[in-house]
Amino acid sequence: MSIAHPLLPGLCEQLERGVMSRREFIRCATLIGMTARTAHAMAGSTAPAMAAETLPFPAVDPGAKHGGILRIGQMVGKMHDPATYSWNEMSNQTRPILEYLTMIGPDNVVRPMLVDWWQPSADLRTWTLHVRSGVKWHNGDELTAEHVAWNIRRWTDPALGSSNLGLSTFAALTEFTGGRDAKGKAVRRALKNGVEVLDSHTVRLNLARPTLSVAEDCAEYCTLIVHPSFVAPLSHQPMGTGPYTLADLRVGERCILKRVTHTTDGREFRYWGGDVYLDEIHFYNYEQEYQTAALASGSVDAIYELTIEQLELAQSIPGAQILSVESAQTLCCRMQVDVKPFDDVRVRRAVVKAADNARIKDLVFGAHGSVAHNYHVAPIHPEYFPLPPPVRDVAGAKQLLKEAGYEKGLDLTICVGNNDGPWQQAVCEALRDQVKDAGINLKVEVLPATKYWEVWNQVPFGATSWAHRPLGTMALAQAYRTGASWNETHFSDPKFDLALSEAEATLDVAERRLKMQKVEQLLEDAAIVLQAFWRPVFSLASSRVRGYRPHPARQIQLTKVWMT
Amino acid sequence: MGQLLIRRLIQMLLIMLVVSALLFAIFDSDQFRRKVAVAELGGLGLATLSADDYHAWLDRRGLNQPFFVRYVAWLDQLGHGDFGQSIEKDVAVSTLLGESLSNTAVLAFFVFLIMVPVSLTLGVLAGMQEGSALDRIISFLAVFTTSIPQIATAALLTVILALGLGWVPTKSAMDDGWSFRALVLPLLTLLIYDIGYLVRMTRASMTEVMASHYIRTAVLKGLPYHRVILRHALRNALIVPVTLIFLELNGVLSQVVVVEVFFQYRGFGRMLFDAANFGDIQVLQAGTLVAVCVAVASQGLSDVAYGLINPRVRVA
Repeated sequence: MSIAHPLLPGLCEQLERGVMSRREFIRCATLIGMTARTAHAMAGSTAPAMAAETLPFPAVDPGAKHGGILRIGQMVGKMHDPATYSWNEMSNQTRPILEYLTMIGPDNVVRPMLVDWWQPSADLRTWTLHVRSGVKWHNGDELTAEHVAWNIRRWTDPALGSSNLGLSTFAALTEFTGGRDAKGKAVRRALKNGVEVLDSHTVRLNLARPTLSVAEDCAEYCTLIVHPSFVAPLSHQPMGTGPYTLADLRVGERCILKRVTHTTDGREFRYWGGDVYLDEIHFYNYEQEYQTAALASGSVDAIYELTIEQLELAQSIPGAQILSVESAQTLCCRMQVDVKPFDDVRVRRAVVKAADNARIKDLVFGAHGSVAHNYHVAPIHPEYFPLPPPVRDVAGAKQLLKEAGYEKGLDLTICVGNNDGPWQQAVCEALRDQVKDAGINLKVEVLPATKYWEVWNQVPFGATSWAHRPLGTMALAQAYRTGASWNETHFSDPKFDLALSEAEATLDVAERRLKMQKVEQLLEDAAIVLQAFWRPVFSLASSRVRGYRPHPARQIQLTKVWMT
Repeated sequence: MGQLLIRRLIQMLLIMLVVSALLFAIFDSDQFRRKVAVAELGGLGLATLSADDYHAWLDRRGLNQPFFVRYVAWLDQLGHGDFGQSIEKDVAVSTLLGESLSNTAVLAFFVFLIMVPVSLTLGVLAGMQEGSALDRIISFLAVFTTSIPQIATAALLTVILALGLGWVPTKSAMDDGWSFRALVLPLLTLLIYDIGYLVRMTRASMTEVMASHYIRTAVLKGLPYHRVILRHALRNALIVPVTLIFLELNGVLSQVVVVEVFFQYRGFGRMLFDAANFGDIQVLQAGTLVAVCVAVASQGLSDVAYGLINPRVRVA
């Protein structure tokens, strides 16, 4: 059920003129609420096989077998409140129970899930979401627009402490009160009429500013939809719309999920998404460095993530399936613009100039991943505008330091928490060796991962991992816009904010890409991040597992996974 | 005897009161509150809170009260037999404590079952004739095993027995249910050190006894050697090792932190380690109480045993 969008004819025209590639057209058409198959048909290409046109899941081999238990090695966390989950693994444990409004596939394209279509207004400030009919909760209730609105309103409560409020959509459902807190941070409150329920299955979002990423934001890891009767912890009363429920949870040990066959009031439970294959899903607690060994010894059938350090070991496992996918997962060595000596742009530029991004990538990830150029938009983002790659310039860096008054050298310290693995430390150490040539003595201070999250937005120079975002504008809006919750560099440039807002208000990808040139250039010139590369995501599964695919945002999606 | 036990009991309660108050005081810092907030909401979630909302969040969690208020509340709760709730694991502390203690008890049971007879025998054999070839071999082995840190033994055993020979699993989490094979590595790691230690103590005690005048007299009287050893030497030589065995109860409880974390065995040590890492204060408090209780109880038992074995001491 898709309604022709006013912007659609323009898109078709661009496709015909060759301004827009097929892939971009599909990307853009799905963004305005068209189903992937229709978009593919209009672009004259064959859609990737899907289970059904209206379903977000991939097609499954007709010979797929029902039954079996899939054992996954990952850290097992508690399942308290999905809106405030602090690790991705918690979402993995929950995703078979609770579901998203939309789903990002392994191909980085958004698909309808609990909402089956959406439509933005031409100015991108009003979004209409249509809730899928026939979706049942485990207690037999039907999912309604009220339920969805209840969840979104909850996320926009600034007192909840949900990372969802850092996402553009939900931030645009709040406004500044004009007041400031003790630390000078502007205080926000939820918009009065931000979330409107139009009828039993339609919700309208009235956003404070044009927002491009509503569909994508609704698939982020903390946006799982709970029943309005929800009381934390979820693990005590795990009720969702998904095909599984929680049978046993022991934090740091295991999480056992079983199929839901009957609703709590005794009726047969029919999952809206069609066939589901696995009887049970077991998560066993393995820290990252033991996961590959656990698979090799047959203790688990698949693991959360294959790290670059374990790649060789994994390749030696007979029959193991190693798959990889490009992602916008990255490490930002970022400097705070209001702290000495980084308040001097010449110092920041000197650090960036003295580094050799391609060399760092080769040292740490070898042939994998792709080089990044310090402006936090990746080639896999639809609006990526390739700027000329920066060239390492040690003499230039020295000159800048001299002008800034650091002729005799400069001592700096970078904090790193290895939140995404020990490779982060390796990046900082490579950087240390490179900037030495320009007379910068860089000390690498390694903090425990949890400790880093206590200071991530406070240290003057820190290496923060940034997870994959499906659109290029998403991370920029979250991290570099004035006053954004996650603005760890304290960067504030009205010109940048304006340019980004203009790009965000442009649905047309070709046009948006042109607008991104300015945005990216402003960020690169400000030299607030040194970002060496985009890392790939690897997945590892035994030969018995079918349909287990790596996901750029490391979401384990198990609805159509089966075992031989 | 009764008086001694009462004295010990009062001593134990006092230590518990002081230690738990200290723990609450240590954890009464902004840094600790921030740590809990990061663990609960994540660095990204916390960053969305304004200062007022952060304090409101702390209030809701009861973390903003001054430490003595929280301490008194905790004592009151404890008085009602409630150990509180684990914030890391969303379960009652008593459940967590029960499971982890019983797992550690199983481990400790096997440690003592094997350690006591083996080390007493070896220690007595070595100490019977100081300087003999047997003494030298046993003493060398004992010094050798006690000089390797347990973490190194653990790694070495894993490499040989689990990765090399494949006899036992590398991890003792027992995901598929209880298995003795999974217990082998943590058990051996504890035994290798503890046996060496107890052998050395037994041997030292035995050599001292063997050099005493009454043993020389017994030998000179022409008593058969085995009679001298069994009837005269052993009783005195075992006084020290037996008291040490009781103290070892406490020793094992602290050693299990290293061993259980290394092998991911779900016992008391691992629970304490996780709680300390997370800042799970109620779990930490309960764990500390148990540890103090075991420490004082093992000393008490050791005193009682000493009194029973040693004819020179009569406990009133």
